Amino acid sequence: MRTVFARMGRPLEMGLKTALAGVAEIAASVLVVVAFTTLVLLVAGAPPLDTFAVLVKGSLGSWSKLSHVIKVWIPLTLASCGLLFTFKAGLWNIGVEGQVMMGAVATTLAMRMGGPSPLAGMVTALALVAGMAGGALWALCAGFLKTKAGVHEIFAGLGLNFVSQGLVLWLIFGPWKQPGIASMSGTETFDERLWIPSIEALNLSPAALGMAVAAVIVTAYLLSSTRLGLYLRAVGGNEKAAVLFGLKPHAVMTAAMLCAGGLAGLAGAFQVSGVYHRLIPAISSGYGYLALLVVLLAYYNVWAAPVVAFFFACLNTGAIQLPMLLSLDSSLSGVIQGSMVIAALAVHSVSTRSRRSRG
Amino acid sequence: MTIALRSIHKHYGDIRANDGIDLVLRPSTVHGILGENGAGKSTLMKILSGYVRKTSGTILVDSEEVDFKNPAEAASHGIGMLYQDPLDFPPLTVLENFMAGQRMKAWPDRSLFRKRLAGLCREMGFDLDPETPVVRLTVGERQQLELARHLAAGRRVLILDEPTTGISSLQKDVLFSALRRLSSGGATVVLVSHKLEDVETLCDEVTVLKKGRVSGSAVRPFSTGALLEMMFGREPAPPLRKGHEPGAQALFLEGVHAHGGRTGLAQCTVKVNRGEVVGLAGLEGSGQDVFLRVAAGLTRPTRGRVHVSRKDMTGRDHHAFKTMGVAFQPAARLEEGLIAGLSVAEHCAILERSSFSLDLDASASLAQERIQSFQVAARPESPVESLSGGNQQRLLLSFLPDDPVLLLLENPTRGLDRESVRWVWERLDAIASNGAAIVFSSSEIDEILMVSDRVLVFFEGRIIHDVRPEDTDALMLGKAIAGRV
Amino acid sequence: MNKRLVFVSALVLIVLSPFVPRLAVAATKPYVFGLLLVGPYNDKGYSQAHYEGGRYVEKTVPGTKMIYIDKVNPSDRPGVTIVQLVDDMVEKGARLVIANSDDMKDGIREAARKHPNIHFVHVSGDDVLTGKAPSNLVNIFGRMEYGKMMAGFAAALTTKTGKIGYLGPLINEETRRLASAAYLGARYAWEKVIKRNPNDLTFQVTWIGFWFNIPGVTADPSQVAKNFYDSGFDVVISGIDTTEAVMVAKQKVNEGKKVWAIPYDYVGACEGGSSVCLGVPYFNWGPGYASLVKKSMSGHWKPEWIWLGPDWKDINNPATSTVGFMVGDALSQEARKALKDFIAGLASGKVQLFKGPLNFQDGRVFLKKGEVATDRQIWYLPMLLQGMKGASSQAK
Repeated sequence: MRTVFARMGRPLEMGLKTALAGVAEIAASVLVVVAFTTLVLLVAGAPPLDTFAVLVKGSLGSWSKLSHVIKVWIPLTLASCGLLFTFKAGLWNIGVEGQVMMGAVATTLAMRMGGPSPLAGMVTALALVAGMAGGALWALCAGFLKTKAGVHEIFAGLGLNFVSQGLVLWLIFGPWKQPGIASMSGTETFDERLWIPSIEALNLSPAALGMAVAAVIVTAYLLSSTRLGLYLRAVGGNEKAAVLFGLKPHAVMTAAMLCAGGLAGLAGAFQVSGVYHRLIPAISSGYGYLALLVVLLAYYNVWAAPVVAFFFACLNTGAIQLPMLLSLDSSLSGVIQGSMVIAALAVHSVSTRSRRSRG
Repeated sequence: MTIALRSIHKHYGDIRANDGIDLVLRPSTVHGILGENGAGKSTLMKILSGYVRKTSGTILVDSEEVDFKNPAEAASHGIGMLYQDPLDFPPLTVLENFMAGQRMKAWPDRSLFRKRLAGLCREMGFDLDPETPVVRLTVGERQQLELARHLAAGRRVLILDEPTTGISSLQKDVLFSALRRLSSGGATVVLVSHKLEDVETLCDEVTVLKKGRVSGSAVRPFSTGALLEMMFGREPAPPLRKGHEPGAQALFLEGVHAHGGRTGLAQCTVKVNRGEVVGLAGLEGSGQDVFLRVAAGLTRPTRGRVHVSRKDMTGRDHHAFKTMGVAFQPAARLEEGLIAGLSVAEHCAILERSSFSLDLDASASLAQERIQSFQVAARPESPVESLSGGNQQRLLLSFLPDDPVLLLLENPTRGLDRESVRWVWERLDAIASNGAAIVFSSSEIDEILMVSDRVLVFFEGRIIHDVRPEDTDALMLGKAIAGRV
Repeated sequence: MNKRLVFVSALVLIVLSPFVPRLAVAATKPYVFGLLLVGPYNDKGYSQAHYEGGRYVEKTVPGTKMIYIDKVNPSDRPGVTIVQLVDDMVEKGARLVIANSDDMKDGIREAARKHPNIHFVHVSGDDVLTGKAPSNLVNIFGRMEYGKMMAGFAAALTTKTGKIGYLGPLINEETRRLASAAYLGARYAWEKVIKRNPNDLTFQVTWIGFWFNIPGVTADPSQVAKNFYDSGFDVVISGIDTTEAVMVAKQKVNEGKKVWAIPYDYVGACEGGSSVCLGVPYFNWGPGYASLVKKSMSGHWKPEWIWLGPDWKDINNPATSTVGFMVGDALSQEARKALKDFIAGLASGKVQLFKGPLNFQDGRVFLKKGEVATDRQIWYLPMLLQGMKGASSQAK
């Protein structure tokens, strides 16, 4: 009992003053982020108010738009959850991009092998599992390069990203090309029975949404309440000390890579089975790299990550409206994303520093 | 420069690290700040050097009120601090480190800086090779470099935090005479220490801190008893040494060579029996660190064999050694021993290795037990990096296994005050009496002489002496450490 | 509650909330049609030709309004799908959606199934031919092989080295067809006009992998063009959507080389490169689009596969001709005259280039002596023709 109180005591003691300071900090952050983004928009020659309005309306303005936001949110959240495992273990899993791609490749392979049989639902489910396995195996490559060959995971990951992009292109232009054509448009579209089932009217796949939500919950549980999460944080916090505490950092890192790769692979599997219904060259949609930003902005917090991912998904979806309504280049959304991340991280670091010196 | 501190407070949550401290530091004076671990010395000095911001109070520099927001502001007032662990860039050379942080052109004239560094070294009696990478220097040499850097940058107030920890007595002499010279040249020198001996040797004036407040002050000549009373409230008894009956063989290194550290380890053949307490003496980094790591299975020998309890363990990893009852604790507590970011309770949870899902309440109550029995000033949920150095050390010791075969401890009492040292050795003594072999390194000859059953003296990666404490004394050991057998 | 979470949600809400109610759909109700462009609307190439076609419809068919989105490809807009864009256009009131690129085939079919009451046009596709198309989807394309024949013809009359490079996009039936047509035009000029041995004519096709440059994914078209010019090819015919060939040719001319280029797709593609541009075979989508939009508005829509040719009376008539060839400043007077005759021959049917004997690259017979290819044979050309160098399919 005493320990419980001891743990609860702290937040209670923080009191009104701290709470007010917290609110002020958030308000200040938002202000800085909005101001900075506005500035960037002005420099880019875009009318800031209209741009913001178009982004909001283009992402949350109608159900069909929201449903597309969710379609982006699902893989982005899955990849972000995966990255939380590796970040906790102190690994920079840049290879997540390639893991998404390899998940997509494995899913495509499974679907091609399974075909539109009467057991299509089963094939799809197995294909998703294959996607996870594909991503996990690819992550294992980076993990082994790190633990066995001493290649830093950033370099290993980047290299493997190139390899997987090359593999995807080769498959599309080579063995898996559409009959008679070799085209960037990708492989033959799968039979509709193999698509992840979705509710037509809502343009929403409850199964996929469920997977993403489950991924967040499971990730949160694993990281905070299990031995695995503790070991990840221990190895991430201090590899040398973890050895003295009887942990095997390489094994723990490998486990982190497997979790990350599995979730990234699932994201790729969803891209194939739920979004494009085929393998295309840009199958990852850059969600791996985007997920890195999500996790950074979420400050490695498992509950903040889906919120940030949702925000990014809104930006991504809303940005399509920019050229249509304002004749602006939609790559501006990337600029907005980038400046928000920078501004938010800057505010965070300033506030952490001032908190440290305040005590 | 005269610095006056008035009613300085520094609160971390409900912990009052400084609780209304008044202090005046005068030029041409070496001022000692004495106190046991956690008395608030480091906090006070970090406030003065701009590294930490005070909660309340006034700092006057030559009657002008200042409030340093960062170390740079303090530096611009001529205040520089030398930390216990030097803040330098290990991959760079001495000269490059010397240049870093000084005003210079985009393409600086290295020879100019080289000349300036050489001049300072001559003046201070330092021996630094400008082209050596800092990573190859000893702590003492890094300290000299840091001092030279501060002087070159024109600092007139020099704060040294536990400068004699981990350096040789020779280096200490060099340092002290340099400080005396600076002080007589008009500089304000502040020596933060828990070592009476240092303070008594060097300081003109002493302020003693206890529990965040000033418990007394004195000017030369000092009365040791009075100072001790100010520090502890009473004079502590010296640590006790009980003789242990050597038991079965615990460790046997056979012709071991290994890489690592500053010197590596060469031709090392040693047997240690259970129940024995073996002290490793020598300048820091003379091979003791490698010895301990080889014995722990953390470093693999390039030649020779390692036996634990008469079992050949050569080439096995640390986990295999661990199951044989070997435990190792490094000197760099936060760098190697503890996991920053995890709480005390989470450290305990790792050691439990029970079910897959964590029972944080159970770990917390376990942590509470350890905290109480090892007198750690912390809560189960405190992140380990928030603990003071001494508390981190106690916490580490609380993680030692219950009935080990062989304990390998690197500077286990580093940074602890006398009271704590005594307390630690009582614990360790009990463990040894239960039949564990303890091998520890220390830079304090007195400590080694007092607690060891055997002393191994390291010099340049070799064991050059294997004696019983009753057959030697501090002077002989000191000579041996310096390589004069 | 985690602070970070609060922070980010507050950020989202505050940034976004005040603006939601603004921006209503315009008040009057014109007939809205949507245009999905694979490249930038101002690429001076394929996509711009479509964009101008849409503008032409707005101008000539009263009561119509175009909405468009460009750079519709997964590299420029990662994560964006055709269906999603169509959904959005339909929400904005579009009654007809035109997808301008081959690689939108699967997406536009999916969208057409999803929106059975909206009319869809897939440019360059063949879903109607193959029977995959739902009834609200039509295919349209221009008989660009004629334009390409003219391009090849002009190239062969101009080259000094006898080496013509063809900067190809990706490999499919359409691109094989067009590259082959260019080759046939070139060979005709070489053999019949300047009477030289066809074996002395080198016609090399190099594929970059997509319709335009995607750094890191496709070969860089500027680099490919440079390689052509540096290895003795003095005329490059572009088959890609953008104008790199002209730009590189200009550079080479500035360096003192005698080289030329023939861009593609857009009537204004020679702009800024008149010193090197021999002319441009281009699409003029206005008339075709206008007719489809009128059909849709008047209720005469029917599934069809439309392959519109040049208006042989005046191939450059913007109101009638879907395919044209705009002669460039760099083409010699002599060649212009020959080209005029050539076009007249094509118009009258006296010159038939897809006529036997013609063999495939691997030696198999494509057309026996005297045999004239059917539209389907030309549309589904399975391989490059004998005499051309370069890959016929990507698989090795």
